[in-house]
Amino acid sequence: MFIFTLRRLNLFIFTMLVLTLISFSLSYLFPGDPVINLSGQLNSSEEQLALLNENYHMQDNILWQYWAYIEHIIQGDLGLSMSSQSPVLNEIMILLPATIELSLVALLIAMFIGIPLGFIAAIKHNKTSDNIILSVAMFGYSIPVFWLGLLAILFFSIGLGWLPSAGRISLLFEIDIITGVLFFDILLSDSPDKWQAFQDATTHIILPACVVALAPATIFIRLARASMIEVLETSYIKAVKAKGLSFKQIIFRHALRNALIKIIRHVGLQFANLVTIAMVTEVIFSWPGIGRWLIESIYQRDYTAIQSGLLVLSCFIFIVHILTDFIYAALNPLARGNKHGS
Amino acid sequence: MAREKIYQEEVFPSPFMQLWLIFRKTPTAMIGFVCFIFLILLAVFAPFLAPYSPVEGHLDMVLLPPAWHDNGNVSFLLGTDELGRDMLSRLMYGASLTFGLSFVVVIISLIIGVIIGSLSALTKGVKSSFLNHFLDVILSIPSLLLAIVIVAILGPGISNTVWAIVMVLIPQFIHITRYAVKEEFRKDYVLASRLDGASSFRVLYYSVFPNIVERLMSQATLAQSAAILDIATLGFLGLGAQIPLPEWGAILANGLERFYIAPWTVYLPGLSILFAVVATNLVGEGIRHALKLRKES
Repeated sequence: MFIFTLRRLNLFIFTMLVLTLISFSLSYLFPGDPVINLSGQLNSSEEQLALLNENYHMQDNILWQYWAYIEHIIQGDLGLSMSSQSPVLNEIMILLPATIELSLVALLIAMFIGIPLGFIAAIKHNKTSDNIILSVAMFGYSIPVFWLGLLAILFFSIGLGWLPSAGRISLLFEIDIITGVLFFDILLSDSPDKWQAFQDATTHIILPACVVALAPATIFIRLARASMIEVLETSYIKAVKAKGLSFKQIIFRHALRNALIKIIRHVGLQFANLVTIAMVTEVIFSWPGIGRWLIESIYQRDYTAIQSGLLVLSCFIFIVHILTDFIYAALNPLARGNKHGS
Repeated sequence: MAREKIYQEEVFPSPFMQLWLIFRKTPTAMIGFVCFIFLILLAVFAPFLAPYSPVEGHLDMVLLPPAWHDNGNVSFLLGTDELGRDMLSRLMYGASLTFGLSFVVVIISLIIGVIIGSLSALTKGVKSSFLNHFLDVILSIPSLLLAIVIVAILGPGISNTVWAIVMVLIPQFIHITRYAVKEEFRKDYVLASRLDGASSFRVLYYSVFPNIVERLMSQATLAQSAAILDIATLGFLGLGAQIPLPEWGAILANGLERFYIAPWTVYLPGLSILFAVVATNLVGEGIRHALKLRKES
């Protein structure tokens, strides 16, 4: 486990280097002065500009500049947003939890719907229900997410009037931001109508979360199906069949756990996919998350925000990646490296 | 003179032909394939087939519903949008933008990816490990996010979108080519041709490529369905095709304001995207299914 941790740590440091390098080179690739792109200080005077140049080591060679950039990042200084002139880090800290909330809820929905369906398809391999589930899954990951979001709004919000179409919570409720995750904030707040606020937030999240969840759910269906089929063909399943265990016992006691483990490894990769889908969904549902903010900063040519937003978002995705790797390794001894005698 | 078969010669079809023979037997894959060919033809011949110009408005025919509607008009089969532009023509031209461009994008990135991938498969040591890590990092960033960043650097526009998606798709092809070439290089037939004195390049060209071409094709269909969705999404977000261009995502975004009074301006482009992606995925599924069956037989 120690070597595994070291390896992951190594990968993490390497990735961070590459990501910061990309984000640093963006300041040169974007139009305009690199130092202004890095700091976001648009209307600075001559002295301020000189000070900035000093701070970011702009006169020195490119390695020093990069080092100065990393120092700034470590100190938590991501520059000012060009459009609002407030620190980018503060904005991200408010927006990122909203995205995390949406994507986690969507991930849970996707897993709870996708994995059981995939298992059912695998158990009924090559029968009608398998084919139906597979063709539904095919449509699921072919639907463009923005179109699906619009249809969902048209049907559930405008047509049936069941669920709200935009935002995170009704503006009537005043919730102080403590953690940034709305559900925790509501529970922590001492407002008298806490439960109404909670219900309202729940109705707001259902529609966007379901829209985000559809494509990953279909991928989970396929993953779950493939891994279950693989497990059902192994010799230990044949052995328990020969022992005369009932079908239910075989599935629940032996096959399920081994099939689940293989899926967990893919959760990290799917998460990256899910966050991108969430970005587009945020635009449609006016969800105050980092994706909408990032796309708006492209419209406004807010280069500092694009640069830092990309860095934070990809860092976040990568951390989830590594976390799932760890969970996978903790659950599956085989993944921790070759054992003696194997 | 017809050549008669005197000997009962056993004919072994080439791997590619074997794949085609299995592929042909799956009805869903064939339906997808026909739709795929249809879309390609549409993309190429849209200017000759479309009844009207995609940008020219008919101001007396504004917001006309599709022909099967009570208020519809047969000369505008799928209705018109808020400027009286014929939806059918716009969608047909859109096929050459969204679908046709995605096809071109995939071909370009396939070629670049295969060249880099097969060269890198021949390298060993630090260079190879660096490339591996680097690819891992790039592949862990979602394609759309990367495309959005590249578009942010280059500025919005359809040609920039194309370059962005080409760049985004290249790592996938490098990865799969590298993996496939390395796997083939371990096999005995490669060793045999090495013993015959073939250079690495010759082995690659004559022995390895014919054996991995189907895997590349299956990856290409995956890449194309992603490319269609990415082009459409960027168009929808206003970062890709700009306003008068009839790109499907852009048409959809355009119809958004009149969503409730003219739902067909949103339904139809969405359905077209769905159709294109499903057709591509069906072909891809068919290839993968056939590959699996060929391996088993």
